[in-house]
Amino acid sequence: MGYKIGIDVGGTFTDTVLIQNNEVIKKGKVLTDPKNILNTVLEAFDFLEIPPSMPLDHITVSTTLVTNAILLNKLSKVNLILFPGSGVRLSSFNWPVKYSVLSGELDYRGREVLPPDKREWKELTQRLSSHSENPLVAIVSKFSHRNNIFETELKAYLENEIPNVHIALGSEWGKSNFYRRSLTTYLNLACTELFSNFRCNLKKAVISRGFNGPIRILKADGGVFPLERIRPVESIYSGPAASILGALAQSEPEESFIVVDIGGTTTDIGLVLGGSPLLSFKGAQIDNFLTHIRSLATRSITVGGDSTIINRNGEIIISNYRTGPAYCMGGNSPTPTDAMRYLNYIKIGSYQKAEEALAELLPENERQALTIRTLAESIIEQMVEKIILAIKQLLTEWKNEPAYKVWEVLHQNLDYKFNIYLSGGPAAGLAKTFENKMKTRAIISNWAPISNAVGAAMAKPTFSWTLNLDTSLAKYRIEETGEQGAWKGAKRPYREVEKFLVDISKEQALEMGIDFDSFKIEPFEYFPLVDNHRTIGQIVRGSVHLPPGVIGRIL
Amino acid sequence: MMVNTGIIFFPAFDWSLGETHPEREERLLYTQEQIFEEGIMDFPQIKQYSPEVADIFDVLRTQAIFPDYRQHDLDAHLIAVGSSIILGKAIIEKELTNGFALIRPPGHHSGATVWGNRGFCTLNNEAILINTLRAKYGLKKLAIVDTDVHHGDGTQDIFYNDPNVLYISIHQDGRTLFPGTGFTEEKGGPNAWGTVINIPLVPGVGDEGFIYTFENWILPKLQEFQPEIIINSAGQDNHFTDPLASMNVSAQGYGKITELLKPDLAVLEGGYSIQGALPYVNMAILLALAGEDYSGVIEPQKLKNMEVSGEAFLSFIHDLKKHHDNVKPNWIFRKEKYFPSGDWVYGEKDIFYDTHWFRERRKDYVRKCNHCGGTVLMLSQNLETYEKGLVIRIPFEACETCEQAGYDLFDALKEREKNIFLQNLKNNKVIWRIGNGEVNFG
Repeated sequence: MGYKIGIDVGGTFTDTVLIQNNEVIKKGKVLTDPKNILNTVLEAFDFLEIPPSMPLDHITVSTTLVTNAILLNKLSKVNLILFPGSGVRLSSFNWPVKYSVLSGELDYRGREVLPPDKREWKELTQRLSSHSENPLVAIVSKFSHRNNIFETELKAYLENEIPNVHIALGSEWGKSNFYRRSLTTYLNLACTELFSNFRCNLKKAVISRGFNGPIRILKADGGVFPLERIRPVESIYSGPAASILGALAQSEPEESFIVVDIGGTTTDIGLVLGGSPLLSFKGAQIDNFLTHIRSLATRSITVGGDSTIINRNGEIIISNYRTGPAYCMGGNSPTPTDAMRYLNYIKIGSYQKAEEALAELLPENERQALTIRTLAESIIEQMVEKIILAIKQLLTEWKNEPAYKVWEVLHQNLDYKFNIYLSGGPAAGLAKTFENKMKTRAIISNWAPISNAVGAAMAKPTFSWTLNLDTSLAKYRIEETGEQGAWKGAKRPYREVEKFLVDISKEQALEMGIDFDSFKIEPFEYFPLVDNHRTIGQIVRGSVHLPPGVIGRIL
Repeated sequence: MMVNTGIIFFPAFDWSLGETHPEREERLLYTQEQIFEEGIMDFPQIKQYSPEVADIFDVLRTQAIFPDYRQHDLDAHLIAVGSSIILGKAIIEKELTNGFALIRPPGHHSGATVWGNRGFCTLNNEAILINTLRAKYGLKKLAIVDTDVHHGDGTQDIFYNDPNVLYISIHQDGRTLFPGTGFTEEKGGPNAWGTVINIPLVPGVGDEGFIYTFENWILPKLQEFQPEIIINSAGQDNHFTDPLASMNVSAQGYGKITELLKPDLAVLEGGYSIQGALPYVNMAILLALAGEDYSGVIEPQKLKNMEVSGEAFLSFIHDLKKHHDNVKPNWIFRKEKYFPSGDWVYGEKDIFYDTHWFRERRKDYVRKCNHCGGTVLMLSQNLETYEKGLVIRIPFEACETCEQAGYDLFDALKEREKNIFLQNLKNNKVIWRIGNGEVNFG
């Protein structure tokens, strides 16, 4: 087995690690330059001092590039064109972007109810070309995941009229939910240029250092995807995914645990059930965009080792912001890290400074050792309680996942025994308090400080192929790729549909450059279609997943 | 006011009453496609809850299942009941303003005694919910408005003698549709006269007729009764595309009815136009509950013009109401030797189980009482197997005499009968005597 590199770009630091045969060979941290993520990644790479002759399996990068661009609104301008048909009023939703509307309507099986009005298309062409010579256009129709006809026809029309137009279709994000599909299509197109630049420059830089192997990008769902093939917007929220994968790479195969990754300003929480990271049943939300991006179920709260502690009218509060490093590390304000240092839960930083920082929070006549100690303890308690509240919310979300089948309701397994995996700088200082409050084992792995980079390096590729087959209309669709084709098989197929889907998945995985070894098949659903007391066909739904997981366990 | 609308969507995609049966897997498939595609679950005021299995005690408090509840396949039904209860509790606890249990299977044809499935129903979701809320939260006055095109004979059966539950059913006339009951003369038992209101309509009255009836009959009755909670048995078979009925109501009409009624909880009942109606009607109801604009909900099929409207409808509905108001009770008094003191009103009926084609005979005795709903004795017999089952029901807030009467009946009957339920709603207890053994619930 060759060498693997993991790089996780965080808000403050970027972790980097070199792994061979499930052993960490070299690890470290470099400062993140949020203005130049590419340089940060390259610095992290160079830190590992890898000789050009070293056989590299792959480089995996978890980057905040796209997340930051969305949050700072540094996106390209996209024209969003909608075919909403009838139903819920568009104005019932909060739209973070502008859109224009065309007529035409499909129903829930993709049958045409009202044809589009081609006169509108002409006007649209004029409007688009008057603003730009190479406009970006996202076209989304309601029910396009069942029939992409309006989208593909308009695309062909526009490409003919405006030679340099760049078009993305909603059916390429073929899950139901018109609103989310619209926003996801928009966002992905809007960050494509930014990501392409990053992709080219990273590739060039790595090649110039003598490596030609695969570069992988970590996604929000805890899986990796080849740099060349990933849809840019899927790279958001890879940080929390990296910490869950990192813990997974250091745990027992069937273990269930809560991952708590405590950073300087934020704490990320995730859930692993019997060795499988829990995916969120809804797509991710970023800024005001609700999307179809699959992500691990996580909670992020703004509390960390460097959160500023304030005295508000005698009440000691952990704020949700950071003013700099902890006082005991040379910063300006008291932080939970100072409390940990004072209690000797951690050994780095100045003890005197920590004491000073805490004393500052007390009235002058109360600055005795015992009071300071009590204060330090109460700060740790407060911090841990905040995190536990978020853990409870995440557990509730998991327990309240909807179920649509009798079998699912009767076989809900909520009976897991959870350990806690702590990672991040301040982890060591909080383990005891977690154990006492949660009455469970808190584990801090050897590689806790660079756990995210380990997670990135060890992550497996993920993808899903969800089939919707309507034999009565003789059409099938693959939701995740937007593929829509004619069904030539039986009206009432049975097990051969599974093979049909697995064959498609296998072929496409090969083409995407991802391994297709440990796939899972969800139980297929068969709906007999009845007309006039006769069965006239079937709707079959089912999916094949490459679920998130790790290549191996770090020793 | 900001609304919080709870929804449980439980389509039971792995349950059916037969492959081509109307109550089959496909029934809520397109509703799911429609509602999910429309993104309604993403509205900030909509909260999706997950289904749960109901406790059998909650069922047996309200319905006696014969000959043995363990012999029936109740899984799907228990989840439908459990889901209704989750939303009902969340509403009482003010977590939600209102809710929609968008569930299968339905329940309103299932009555106080159950020998099997009838009208696609085995357990009565709304009735079990209502009695669970009374037992748990002490609610006193409750109302069910049944807008299914079929008469909710099961719900009526359960609350017929209960003065504290107002049951209003608006439906297509029983002379032209299953189950063949729900006439204006059916107004409640001797201690609950007037708390059952049946409004059997002629076919084809459409949105206009429904809205008029709500504004001029149903809403004033609710206003007068002042219930603490209103449950809507929301059947969707009044829609103009329904294959079994012909009431000619549109999806927007359903939205308007929901907006007028303002139910605390809507529970899906029937409705088998699974492509033409359900995706649109369900959406309109959900939007109306959530306080959203439903005027964009337009079904692809167009309404056929066959409405009974204008003057013709007005004269029909006025005659019907007049007839309803003028109906006087005609009690038959009868008792057996072993009965405790008091006047007992007797009634009997046959109940047809259309799913498996058999009949049940029921003989009911209600103790006439000026202080409470009165203890009820139901003698039930399955006319296919000749098995018998008995129910003694002591009502919520029973007076001491009626409660004692219930226990006296139980003592008198337990040696001679093999299968008896004693439902003491007052003390929230159920005793099931089967053979020589007794099982206690609560």
